Amino acid sequence: MDERPEEGLVEDARRGGREAFAELVRRHERRVHGIVMRMSGNSSDADDLAQEVFLTAWKAIGSFRRGSSFYTWIYRIAVNTSLTFLKKKGREKNRAPFDETIAVAGLSPGGTPSPEGRSDLNELQGKIDEAVAALPPHFRASFALVVDQGLSHADAARVLGCSENTVSWRMHKARKLLQARLKPFLEEARP
Amino acid sequence: MRCATVRKRLSDDLDGTVPSGRKPRLEAHLRTCASCRGYRQRLDRIQAAVRPPAEPAAESWASFERSVASRLEPRGDEGRGDVGAPFAARRRWAWAAAAVLILAGAGIWYSLRRPVTEPLEVWASFDEAFDPLLGAAEADPELAGRVDREITASIEEMTPASDSDADAAVLLSSDPLFWEGLSDDELRGVVAELETDLGRGGPQ
Repeated sequence: MDERPEEGLVEDARRGGREAFAELVRRHERRVHGIVMRMSGNSSDADDLAQEVFLTAWKAIGSFRRGSSFYTWIYRIAVNTSLTFLKKKGREKNRAPFDETIAVAGLSPGGTPSPEGRSDLNELQGKIDEAVAALPPHFRASFALVVDQGLSHADAARVLGCSENTVSWRMHKARKLLQARLKPFLEEARP
Repeated sequence: MRCATVRKRLSDDLDGTVPSGRKPRLEAHLRTCASCRGYRQRLDRIQAAVRPPAEPAAESWASFERSVASRLEPRGDEGRGDVGAPFAARRRWAWAAAAVLILAGAGIWYSLRRPVTEPLEVWASFDEAFDPLLGAAEADPELAGRVDREITASIEEMTPASDSDADAAVLLSSDPLFWEGLSDDELRGVVAELETDLGRGGPQ
């Protein structure tokens, strides 16, 4: 494993160093995969998208500004790549509008346990995944960065190219939609 | 503090962006508002139950890295395009929409502040229209109570609950980057909310 600081690896990669770039891939592949997975909603697309992110980064690394944060840059590529993918597939256009008055399909508060016999927590996690996947893409991108990746509003704003206020507002709206959609389950499934 | 403001701050609090000095007011509101307490409990449950997106099996990463390495093309200076911010293509439209909103706000402000052109007797007769109601209320304690509650509610509706609420709203709307970052859908949502607030919405 290459122990060099990231700045050195980026500098080598800018000069065409494949080994240096391979190390950058190793350091960031999991987080990049997490973002594109959250955005695309399935692992098959996420695998392809994650590769595309790094190939785009390799082609564009000449434009990377010295002194910037590499992860901010690579996350931005991940979000851009995911949005382009979603647009191409027309998924967002055909997706049913997020209706907070409709509970997530399959929720059966107080009803019989699911056939798989999953625990309440597992079931809740599955429902949350479905609800997050149904969020509008700009809300989902903020959610992926702030909740999944643990970025501050300021860092997420740098990735998304918007203000901290915008990130804060999107997170509020996203959570409002999620809690409204999951409300029946959250209240009834409480132990 | 209003419930809407509290709920926005509850979200900020989960992300660690509420200054400690503001937390006592937040907690004070929660002690007296069961609805917001329930909202926070639901947010907490969701936050605690969110799991990271599924990761490939550990052995898959080596294959992933080989695949990326095999697809790296020799690189010249060409193709070193800049990486734009997500939603950057919408910025021009966002600025235009923000300008329209600001102009609309200025127009409304001007129309509210300009000298009243109606004759004074119109206002006098409008005021007098309440006289029978107020007269009846004097004789009926129950009616008086209802009138009093209605007037109080109207005043509260028109007045920011606190200076900080008003400040927060002004700060948010005066931040050009906030408007710039919003997508088309979000801007349309804001316009719809404004139209509803101003009573200009309704069935088309």
